[in-house]
Amino acid sequence: MSSVEDEAGNSRYVIEGRVFPPENQVLSNWQVETRIHVNGGEYIGFIKEDGSFAVHNVPTGSHVVEVVHPDYMYEPVRVEINSKGKYRARRVNYIQTSQVIQVPYPLRMKALSKFRYFQIREQWRLTDFLFNPMVIMMILPLLLIMVLPKMMNDPETKEDLKQITNLAKMSEMPEMSEVITNLFSGGATAKASNSKAKQIKKRQ
Amino acid sequence: MCIYEDQIGKFDWRQTYVGRIKFSQFDTVSTAKKLIVATEENVLAALHLKTGQIVWRHVFESASSGNIQLLHVSDKVVTVTGSNPYLVRGWDSSTGVLIWEWSLTLQDNDHAEFSEWWVQHGLLVHMLPIFNSHIEVTMYNLMSGQNRGATSKLPAPWVNEGCVLTPPYYTCVSGNMGEQRLLTVDVTSNAVQIINKPLFDYISLDVFDGNMRPLDANSALPGFIIDEKKVLLIKNNDFEQLNIDIVGASVSATIIEGPSEQILLQAWDDKTMGFSLIAHSVSTGKEVPEIKCSDRDHRIPDPELAAVMCTKTAREQHACRILINGADDAIHFVQQAGRVLWTREESLANVVAVEFVDLPVSETDAAIESEFDQKEAAKMYSSIWAAFTRRLQSQFQQLQTLLHGLQHADRAVASSNTNDLVRDYFNLHKVIVLVTEVGKIIGMDNLSGEVLWRRYEPSLSTASLAVFTRRTARHPPLDAYLTIVGTHEETGNGLIISLNPISGELVGERSLQLDGRLLQCAMLHRADEEKLHGLVVLYEDETIQVFPVSSAPLVEDMYMYVAEPETAYVRGYALRYDGKEARAQAIWSLRLGGAGPGSPGHRIVHAAARARLERTHSPGRALADRSVLYKYNNPNLVLFLTEGPDPVHKEVVRAVAVDVASGAVAAAGSHRRARAAPHHQAVHADHCLAYLYRSEKHRRFEIASMELYEGKERWLPAGAAFSSFASERAPAVERQAYIVPAAVTAAAVTVTERSLTDRHVLLALSTGAVVEVPWAFLDPRRPLAPTAEQREEGLLPYAPELPLPADAVLNYNRTLHRVRALHTHPAGIESTSLVLATGLDLFYTRVAPSKTFDLLKDDFDYHLISIVLVALVVASYGTKHFASRKMLKMAWK
Repeated sequence: MSSVEDEAGNSRYVIEGRVFPPENQVLSNWQVETRIHVNGGEYIGFIKEDGSFAVHNVPTGSHVVEVVHPDYMYEPVRVEINSKGKYRARRVNYIQTSQVIQVPYPLRMKALSKFRYFQIREQWRLTDFLFNPMVIMMILPLLLIMVLPKMMNDPETKEDLKQITNLAKMSEMPEMSEVITNLFSGGATAKASNSKAKQIKKRQ
Repeated sequence: MCIYEDQIGKFDWRQTYVGRIKFSQFDTVSTAKKLIVATEENVLAALHLKTGQIVWRHVFESASSGNIQLLHVSDKVVTVTGSNPYLVRGWDSSTGVLIWEWSLTLQDNDHAEFSEWWVQHGLLVHMLPIFNSHIEVTMYNLMSGQNRGATSKLPAPWVNEGCVLTPPYYTCVSGNMGEQRLLTVDVTSNAVQIINKPLFDYISLDVFDGNMRPLDANSALPGFIIDEKKVLLIKNNDFEQLNIDIVGASVSATIIEGPSEQILLQAWDDKTMGFSLIAHSVSTGKEVPEIKCSDRDHRIPDPELAAVMCTKTAREQHACRILINGADDAIHFVQQAGRVLWTREESLANVVAVEFVDLPVSETDAAIESEFDQKEAAKMYSSIWAAFTRRLQSQFQQLQTLLHGLQHADRAVASSNTNDLVRDYFNLHKVIVLVTEVGKIIGMDNLSGEVLWRRYEPSLSTASLAVFTRRTARHPPLDAYLTIVGTHEETGNGLIISLNPISGELVGERSLQLDGRLLQCAMLHRADEEKLHGLVVLYEDETIQVFPVSSAPLVEDMYMYVAEPETAYVRGYALRYDGKEARAQAIWSLRLGGAGPGSPGHRIVHAAARARLERTHSPGRALADRSVLYKYNNPNLVLFLTEGPDPVHKEVVRAVAVDVASGAVAAAGSHRRARAAPHHQAVHADHCLAYLYRSEKHRRFEIASMELYEGKERWLPAGAAFSSFASERAPAVERQAYIVPAAVTAAAVTVTERSLTDRHVLLALSTGAVVEVPWAFLDPRRPLAPTAEQREEGLLPYAPELPLPADAVLNYNRTLHRVRALHTHPAGIESTSLVLATGLDLFYTRVAPSKTFDLLKDDFDYHLISIVLVALVVASYGTKHFASRKMLKMAWK
């Protein structure tokens, strides 16, 4: 087939090339899902079984050829056809429009990468779970309840603890905690707090 | 901004369409039987026979280069597309993969539009009738395009515009009135044989008005209907008249190859009987009893047989599958007895206007609301006791509905009819009213995409259209009220259609044809006692009319503008009520075209006003030095985008922001060597304006943005309403342009309830993606080298190219073809904006520009929080128990 099709004076040309499917990927019917857009859909090409394509009836000038696939990204190419019918393909650069980095013609379009449309959900990890504020809220009191009494049984730590509590009492810290325990535990622990209060009184 | 993979389809849906069917044929060769259709929208698609869903689809160019001229289905699907040059393509019918293609250019460009194409014996036949002269016939090898024998010319001076083609026969009525002759020729045969008979051998009329049409749906025998009465077949080099009468004038008829005999099938829409179908045997003329239907409840306006396939079942009965194309663009796939297997609402491929409508609150909620409504309460419950009993009553009602809901929880989910259309807590559930090009009005559930009601208005021309929600559903017991203002198909006068958007029933003015052509229409901003906003229409003779008439005294402080797109001439009117009637007075005019009348000036491509529902609740922008930059918040501002030729710069795009109440120009900009994009590609919200154009110099799309500011001091005291006539000062304009590395087909901006959330611009690309771009990227104040202050304010440093990352694509890999417009609407919660993309496909989703700050995440772990709560309660009681035991032990020690 000739690449030049004469039409009432002004020539029409064919942009040819080949699209390569994403490697290592067995995609059924990728040819149907892939389209060739020239100048954002002004001319549309379709892909044959082997990946080759031809966009017919394109006039002279500069055209941006895009391979559109819903899942894979392809780099667009600017194809320039001069009035003599010579082709030049180069990279699309929208910022420096005069910069020319040539690419081979007929076009060879390879998939760059898969589009990442989605955020990746965080995986369930033990550390994440443990550092979850709610879980910490649950585990820490448990530790305090289960481990601290065990430690109390050890005579040495008991001594240490006594010292610490004494120190703490010196600085009059427990009053605050007392208020809170009173608030939360109500009558059941009232007796205990009473005894504590007596202790403090004695000290005073 | 982007979603998780497991959220696919959770808030969004896509509906794919093909458009109005132009050609259709059954694919009986491949193992999975399909229906191959080619449409007016330049789409080739295969539809599944059982469900009607699209198996594969190819979308051609939307311009004339994509027009489908021929669809031929044998073992391969063959299409001819374009309009000189033509492209002939062969497709695999099961997969849709392209097998071959070749291009064909006709030398004779002037007559090319009359070309006819068909496939015969593996050859593509092209016929070009030159009226009153001859017929040119060329045959091509279907696969390669090689010309089999050059063009042959048949001398035929009797060829005229009224001829019909029933491949391979070409039939004309020729001759003087009264002695017309019927001529036909097999244009493909080598030996030219013209059948020439007097017309009045077949019809008994004295006058024949030339009404002749071929049989529909790829008729098995070449034949045509003459004068809407008789069917003539071409058989054995002669005409044969069928002795079966055509039922009526607008009947669609075809001959199908039945299992044992040929059958003439007729379909029509009877005024009283509804959709009707009848079949006769061609050879005997007897009626075929199995193929018959008349369905009173099923109405198809002007049904047309698109494709028919009949087989015989084991019990010697006909089993037919009939595809019917209605004038309302819906296609119905029907069995021989009239049972509809599936329907496709193809008019939705051409949506022209969209309106989101709030749903009414449920009855119990309405009762509670009316209880706390001040006026209502004062009226009805004068005593405290009445109010108290009322309170008890409604509480009891609530309890009842709760119990009822618990009992019927499963049933309520299954049935989603109009009764369930009640407002949800966040007002995310709405009805979308879509007006389509063909004149069909469709109500759609926005959460499911299900069509709730449809109404076909054949007289509604949709070239220019406005939709107003004149009463929302917030005022029970009054129903919502929606008005569509368009033009009448035949007279060109105004046409008003008022309906209840929830049920689709006509209300109020119903369908009303006005007496004159309309210039403009608007809704009054003050509602009447029935909470109904009046509708004002401005006629061409500058008189106005108010609907309903009783609303005329409410016309006050109303301004209207009229823009002529072709001349870019904009006029402004002030509307006043003078005690007797409302009058319009022209107060300003503006020539945006630049040139005087007659010379080529600019034309208006697009006018972008603010969304009607936009309420701005932030007066300014906080700067780093703790001062405020106040916005120029003019609700009357409209951005006009014009395009026109220029002697030096070829073409120029201009953007002018006009206060349409006073006619003052607030801001303007122009771009040399640029072209405006054809569709809705300008957005306007709050004090921000943005528009797209194509820079021909750099061969790329650019988006220009403008922001209007009053400055660091307010012009008006806080809380005062803006007045176009009180402010003589011009706002300060910040502007900037950015490169868009893609072709944009439509643009919109997100709208939220109070406009406190960030603003995102939505761009629909030609690749089929809808991308969400934060306004921060388009901000005209983006500095080249940001200072510490600017960085603190949160301004991004300038970058020429706009990033369009894949994770900003709203529709992920669900490609949307030819998006023509994007519509946004606020939801009941501030964070969320609802989005509908219309084009060949429909896509609905919701976006949260600043993340869903007022809503728990949809993956919020309810189980974990309840487990933690329970565990904490258990633990506290457990420790209490242990502590008391320990105390006891201690005491014993």
